[in-house]
Amino acid sequence: MGEILIALIKVVFIWVWVLLCAVVMTWVERRGAAMIQDRPGPNRAGPFGLLQPLADGIKLFTKEDIVPAKAKKILFMLGPLLFSFPAFSTFAVVPFGDKFVIDGKEILLQVSNVNIGFLYIVALGSMAVYGIILGGWASNNKYSILGGLRSTAQLVSYEVPWGLALLAIALVYGTFSLRDIALAQSGTFLGVLPNWGVFKQPLGFILFMVAAYAEANRVPFDLPEAESEIVSGYHTEYGSMRLGLYLFGEYVNIVTLSSLITTFYFGAWHLPYIDMSAFLGPISYGIASFIVFFLKVAFFLWLFVWVRWTVPRFRYDQVMTLGWRELIPLGLFNIFVTALVIQLTA
Amino acid sequence: MLNGYETIVMYLGMSLIAIFAMLGISALLGPFRPKRNKATTYECGVPLFEASIKRYDVKYYLVAVLFLVFDLETVLIYPIALDYRALAVHGWGVFLEVFIFVAVLLLGLVYALKKRAIEWD
Repeated sequence: MGEILIALIKVVFIWVWVLLCAVVMTWVERRGAAMIQDRPGPNRAGPFGLLQPLADGIKLFTKEDIVPAKAKKILFMLGPLLFSFPAFSTFAVVPFGDKFVIDGKEILLQVSNVNIGFLYIVALGSMAVYGIILGGWASNNKYSILGGLRSTAQLVSYEVPWGLALLAIALVYGTFSLRDIALAQSGTFLGVLPNWGVFKQPLGFILFMVAAYAEANRVPFDLPEAESEIVSGYHTEYGSMRLGLYLFGEYVNIVTLSSLITTFYFGAWHLPYIDMSAFLGPISYGIASFIVFFLKVAFFLWLFVWVRWTVPRFRYDQVMTLGWRELIPLGLFNIFVTALVIQLTA
Repeated sequence: MLNGYETIVMYLGMSLIAIFAMLGISALLGPFRPKRNKATTYECGVPLFEASIKRYDVKYYLVAVLFLVFDLETVLIYPIALDYRALAVHGWGVFLEVFIFVAVLLLGLVYALKKRAIEWD
């Protein structure tokens, strides 16, 4: 009974926390844009405009839900569901801290430490494509279809280098469990560097990062929503909370991708050179590992914003060329080198 | 004893409940005043004179097919990756296996690029 209660608390807590991060992220994005472009940004709702996401939410909730007459009704309603469901659910296997020890019982800070965490992430990551292509198709609008097609082609193209980067990580750590990967990153590497994935997989990190930006439809890969060409792409016809699910799903995706980058390449909850568990009590250690993990995630979230307001958008043919001509051969090369190094050091 | 999959199901259930709650609350709070003009397609304002769903470039289809090939081949290396370190101790056999996989993938990629499959103009 106690076990189920703990599991339930973890599920609810981390689900709400991830969504809260996504909500705050919408605010950070707009304030960050304002800061970079030297203008005030949203500053009316609450101190520093902090209540702006709340106001946006209320607005989305109270809008009329319009289904266009020409749309294919059932698919149109299914689209946002299929997009947001995997986006909201991917975090289930990501460790968000080490563990608490209460009365000799270990409570892992992870919803589920299954040994197929990798496959779960890859599977759910692929599912988002259905929401996009169905939403675009069912809207029966030229902009939507163009946006949906572009987005689908882009997402599937960048999923290959993404998968290749993950494969190299699996080669290095020999496990599909995200917690085991995180645990393997304590201590130092080659005597001086922190034992983080980024130092073992520098090329893999770059590939993963680029592919993550493309998977999240973020600048410089935000072609599915290039406003000047196709209005807002696959969600042109959506309004009210259905649009909200699309937009929100994207931000949740960004939070999840940042967490994955932290887990695979930046040592999850480990601080460089310092072993926190040595001098912190069992409970304060749990809290500290949670805080360290989310500080790292916050940095990558900020990087998403920073890149968005710094880099211009690619042309579509450039996106496809980059994906197939550069990233995939580099990904294959990375696997070859990784396998060779492991073979030589075995 | 929970083995991890139950908690994943809980998490999925949480997502599903939340999505339906969001849509439900939105349906309750939002107005419902249907008008014919509201339900028209958002394009340029004049009545449409042709269907929106038309034939589209076959390149998109080609990309999807290529994706299937490459993603499947990648997935086939995943099980090898899991035990790679243990197998590598016994010699170069497993490296050769990975090398052949990667070489085949690379050959396929070169062929696809030579056939101008990924060129958009």
